[in-house]
Parts: sequence; C-alpha cells; structure tokens
Amino acid sequence: MAIAFHANIYIRGTSPIHRWAVRAKVLSLLVLIFAIALVQHLVLIPWVLAAVLLLYSCSQLPLAYLLRRLPYPGLFIIAMVGLLPWVSGETILWQWQGLSLRLEGLQSAFLVMGRFLAIVTTSFILLGTTPFLDLIQALRSWGLPPLLADMTLLTYRYLYDIASQLGTMQQAMQLRGFGLHQKRLRRQWVRRQWEWLVSLFGSLLLRSYEQSQRVYHAMRLRGYGQLTPPIHPQRSTLSPLAQQSEHLITQVATSLTLTMATGLVIAEWILTYP
Amino acid sequence: MHIPDGILPTQVCIAGYGIAGGITWGTLRQIRKTPDPQAQVPKASLLAAAFFVGSSISIPIPPASVHLVLNGLLGTLLGWYAWPAVLIGLLLQAILLGHGGLTTLGVNAVMMGGSALIAAQIFQLRYRFPALLHRKWFLGTLGFLAGAIGFGLAALIFFGLIIFTIPANLDRVTEQGTLAALMIAHIPLLFLEGGFTALVVLFLYRIKPELLES
Amino acid sequence: MNQPVSLISTELPLSLSTCSTRVAIALENVAFAYADSPSTLENISLNICEGERVGLIGHNGCGKTTLFMLICGLLTPSAGQISLFGQPVRPNQFCPEVGFLFQDPEDQLFSPSVWDDVAFGPQNLGLPELEVAERVKAALNLTGTTALAQRPPHHLSGGEKQMVAIAGLLSMMPRVMLYDEPTASLDLRTRRRLIQFLQRTEETLVLASHDLEFLLEVCDRIILVDDGRVIADADPVTVMGDAILMEQHGLEKPHSLIPHISPHHGRFGSEIIRDRIPE
Repeated sequence: MAIAFHANIYIRGTSPIHRWAVRAKVLSLLVLIFAIALVQHLVLIPWVLAAVLLLYSCSQLPLAYLLRRLPYPGLFIIAMVGLLPWVSGETILWQWQGLSLRLEGLQSAFLVMGRFLAIVTTSFILLGTTPFLDLIQALRSWGLPPLLADMTLLTYRYLYDIASQLGTMQQAMQLRGFGLHQKRLRRQWVRRQWEWLVSLFGSLLLRSYEQSQRVYHAMRLRGYGQLTPPIHPQRSTLSPLAQQSEHLITQVATSLTLTMATGLVIAEWILTYP
Repeated sequence: MHIPDGILPTQVCIAGYGIAGGITWGTLRQIRKTPDPQAQVPKASLLAAAFFVGSSISIPIPPASVHLVLNGLLGTLLGWYAWPAVLIGLLLQAILLGHGGLTTLGVNAVMMGGSALIAAQIFQLRYRFPALLHRKWFLGTLGFLAGAIGFGLAALIFFGLIIFTIPANLDRVTEQGTLAALMIAHIPLLFLEGGFTALVVLFLYRIKPELLES
Repeated sequence: MNQPVSLISTELPLSLSTCSTRVAIALENVAFAYADSPSTLENISLNICEGERVGLIGHNGCGKTTLFMLICGLLTPSAGQISLFGQPVRPNQFCPEVGFLFQDPEDQLFSPSVWDDVAFGPQNLGLPELEVAERVKAALNLTGTTALAQRPPHHLSGGEKQMVAIAGLLSMMPRVMLYDEPTASLDLRTRRRLIQFLQRTEETLVLASHDLEFLLEVCDRIILVDDGRVIADADPVTVMGDAILMEQHGLEKPHSLIPHISPHHGRFGSEIIRDRIPE
C-alpha cells in the first residue's frame, strides 16, 4: 500500500518557508502554480524552473526528498507525452526506419514536462513545509463547509488503520495459500482469486462500515451535531520578537512569490501578443 | 486514473474548479435535505478511506494484473456522499501521497466524482421496481451497469481531455480517431469494472444489505 | 430458568440498594430486544448510587454492552425507564454527565491529534477556547498522557490509546463513567496503571469486564447478568467467591479467591482444585 511506503510528506524545519504564515503561503504558492500552468512558451520554462528551485533551496528541504517523490507522478506524464515527439510536428530532426523525431513534438513534450516539474516541485515546497492539519485549518478558515472538513479529518484519521487492517487480512490470506499459482487449473485459479478478492474488498468495506457506526456513536455521545464548534484560530506560541520576524518573513515571501507569478503572466502575455 | 499537473491549460483547470464548485454546492444541498446529514459522515468517511486503501488491491488478469478504479461502486454505496468522498480522496492523494494534481483537482473530481454520481443514480433505479428490489439478478445487473458506466464515463472524460488539450498540433480527425481507439481498447476494463462491482454488491447484499440502502 | 444452588439468597427480585448518596443511575423494569433476536434484557431493575464502583459480569452476549448503550440513550428500552440523577434518559439526547468508554479505543479516537480528540467534547459543549484548553490539559494530566498531546492517535500503543480515550471522556467532566472491557488489550503494566487510576478517580463507575481480578481490586459491588436478567447483586467476594453460581452462569471463580491450601498450579491444577475445594 502506498501509504505504508511513503514517509510523512511534511518535514519539520525552521526555514523561512516553514515560518511563512500558512494562509499567505497556501494562497501565494497556489497563485504561482496557476501562473506556471499558464505558460505556453518553452523559452520561459528555464526561468520558471530556476525560480522554483530557488524557492526550494529557501525551504531547506533535502534534494533527495524531491528526487524520491518525483518518479511516481513523473511516470504518468512521460506516458502521456512520450509519443508527442514522434507524432506531432513537421520539422524532422532525426529519422530511423519508420520513426521520425519531430521538433515541434519535442518542444511540446519539454513544455509539458517543464510545467509539470515546476508545479509538482512547488506543491512539494508547500506540502513539505506545512503540517496537514494546518492546511485543513486554512481551508476551513476560507469557508470549507464543516461537512467536508469533518469528512476530510475522519478519512485521514482512519486511513492508516484501514490500510493496516487490509495488510493483516492479505497476510492471513497468503498464509492460507492465496496467490499460489497453479498452472494446471488456470481458469479455476483465476475464478477463485476473483472470489477471494471480492471477499477481501467486501470484508474491508463491511469492517469499515461497522467501525463507522461505532465511531458515530462515540461522536454523538460527545456532542457531535449539537452545535457547530467555532473554528479556534491557532494561537501563536512564539515570543513577540519571533512573531515580528515571522510577520516580516511572511510579507517578504508573499510579495516575492506574487511578483514572480505576475512577472510570469506578463512575460507570457508579451510573448503571445508581441 | 487522474490527470497530472502540467498537461491541461490553465483555462481548463479553472473551468474544472468552477464546475467542481457547482457540483459541490449541489450535492451539499441534496445532503442537507436528508433527515440527519451528520449521521452519514462517519460512514462516508470510513468507506472513502476503505476505497482509497482498497484501490491498491490488484486483480489478476493473466498474464498481468490491474488496479480497478471502482468509482461506480463508490457511487452505489455512498450516493450523494460519493462526491465529497472523491474530492477528499483526490485531496489526500495530493497532500498525503504527493501524487500531484493540485491544479487538476477540479477536473479530476468532475471526472471521477461526476461519473460516480451518475452510477449512484443508476443504482437508485432499483427503487423504481419494488417487485424486483430483492432479486439478486436485478441487483447484480444494476451493479454491473453502475460499475461499467461509472468507469466508462470517467475514461471518456480522461482521454477526451488529454487528447483535445494536449499541445500536439494534431488534426481533429486524428484526435477523434485516437480517442475512439483508446476507448475501444478499454472495453475489456469496462467489463471488469462492471463485473467486480456486481460481485461486491451481491456479496454485501448477502451479508449486510443495509449497506446498500441510501 | 434453573434456580441456582448457591450461597446467594434467591429471594428475587433483588433489593434495590438504598443509597446514602444520590441515586446516579436508576433502572426500573427495563427490557430490550434487538430486531433479529429474542429479548436481550428482561425486567432489569437496579439503582447505582453516586460514588459507587460497580462491576458488571456475565458471559459474552449476556447484555452488558446493551445495558451501557441503554444508559447512554444510544438505544431505547422496549419497556421500563432509565433515569440519570433523577432525570429520565431520552433517546439520542446528548448527556455529558455520562462517559462511555467503548471496547475498542480505535472507535473513540477519531480526531487527527490527541489534543484535538480530547478537546472534541468540550468544544461541542460550546465552551470558550480558554476553558477548552484548561479542560484538555487537566484531562491529559490526570491520565498521564500530556506528552502525547500532538501525536496522531494511530501512532499510539494500545495502552496509550486507552488512556487518551479516557482523557477524551474526562474532559467533559462526567459524573458517571461506563467502562466496557477496559483491560481487554492492555499489557500488565498499563493494566496496573489503569487500576491505580480508577482507584483514585471520583466519578461513579460501572465497569463491564471479564477480567475478574481487575474488578476485585476496583469495585465495591458486583452485578452478575445472564439471560438478560440480574442474577446476583452483592459485594465482589460474595458474588465471585460463589464458585457454583459463577460456573452456572458461564464464568468461574477468580483464582485469587481460591484458597491456596495445597499447591494446585501447573499441568494438573484443575483436577486438584476439583478434588480439594469443599462443597
């Protein structure tokens, strides 16, 4: 299960990006991400990547952190744009047998991959420096409906338990011979595997449902649904000096990031309408 | 099955967020009409988590194996709550697993969640035939249709968006042809999704029929 | 139902204990049946006084958890009445005076962090932020879980989860605490800590448990339930010391109450006990 194999995305730290106030950070980085998504000219991509890598270095997140996480989403992108250099465009750069490497297709592929790299890196800057609960708190303060907030927190809370339950059930099945390949009885083997997998998945759903009923009772007994609890803003535990420094960091980081995003949009506009 | 960042133009991403916002408003309205919306929150949340986790189960299709999407099954079990479940699943996928998709969250939600809602409506059709409500073949058939159509719609949107927005400078005929070819190639998966959904529905009906009631 | 041959007086109905303090929980002719089974509880009448520590014993399926759910208002009795401090319990009414610890603490720790979970109840009471924080700190302190405040519940050990779940109930300052199999998943050290905690706590306690030695240490009254009825209601040694009574209702006499006249441990222990224990 992917959850079991991924360490926590968030890494504690004291970099300026870590100390950037959460709401301003989320807003600024999302604006930057959308500005990057607007880029249609390949010539801007190196600048975008340089700016994002500069931001990444400010976050003091290890490079290995990024390199470890890029391959999984990267594979999808490569699968989707891998064919472009071979099917799209007129200018042929290189040919072999029936295959022709085309300039326009190659440029499109680099454009998409460059945008992808910049956006995903910016996402990791956000996720690597912001605890999950702070993110949800920020969304709630922006009007995320209580029902969605409750569901997000509950789903997050029980994700690991349910993953663990599935793991245990799969181990139990394996100990009783599930997965043993029997070449002679291939059709039966496939049918039986399907039956077992239906039972496995169905049992997982049943256990989750029954647990949800007990959780609901526990929540009701502690007042869930009586009234909508106010969103308690997080109180700062920092000294006044530290709070001032955090405020300054927030202002500088927000201004720089929004300037970057604006600059990108203007550059894109100029290149599109010279 | 989700569209990663970087492929879709910003306008499409923003349109996706807009449509997703509208659907969220609509489904929350439907949910608030129910007698006790909060009573379903733990059920929807834990089942969403179970689906999230369960999508890691690989189904053998010799010589390979596949991970099923099962958005149709999600719709049959959760009804209107399938939409927030998909939204949250995608958000957690992006935030907890780092699979990307923050710009395409809206589009992906419409693709997976919208088709889940349609699958939910298909499964709800059983209430229009009270005489057949407890017939296993009827439940199985509706389950199959919900699973197959849920997946089919999602696949159509997925491939359609990729092909029509990718900067490939392909002509319209080639784009449509490619889309058709990809959809035909996925017909076997359509049957798999429908079949697995039907079998799980019948399993749950045998052991805990109340899970299937909305 | 067979009349037990035992040391307990069989003059049923059992006397409703008269309280020197207030009556915390009163059950009058309470009955309940689940939809798909015959009656789970029949004609249960008893009083639990404020400050009492009552142990509820009985084999699996005898109705202990059902009784707790009736007291909390999660289930509605098919007959009879339940009152808490003189007020009738209304179904699904929020009643912060009663805290109910479920068998599996996983079902009770549903917030992303320990602090959030313990704050859940006070927040739902509409208390101001400062008071919520005070209550959370006090509850964590009482249960010795202050160091766990920022941890996610799924990172805790079984014993830690149990204590945090208890903290989550204590933060609502209940007057009655219902514990359902509290020692089920605890190691010996955590079990000992729980016993010490319960011996110090001031709420009215009702504990359902198969861990009879635990009940001997914590409780001053034992109620034996079987077939949906109260079979015996007296002090722990009187009820649990009656080997015949216990065996007739699917239980057994706790080992510490067996006189250690001759060695009876090891491979042949059960045979020796049967030979040596006087009728």
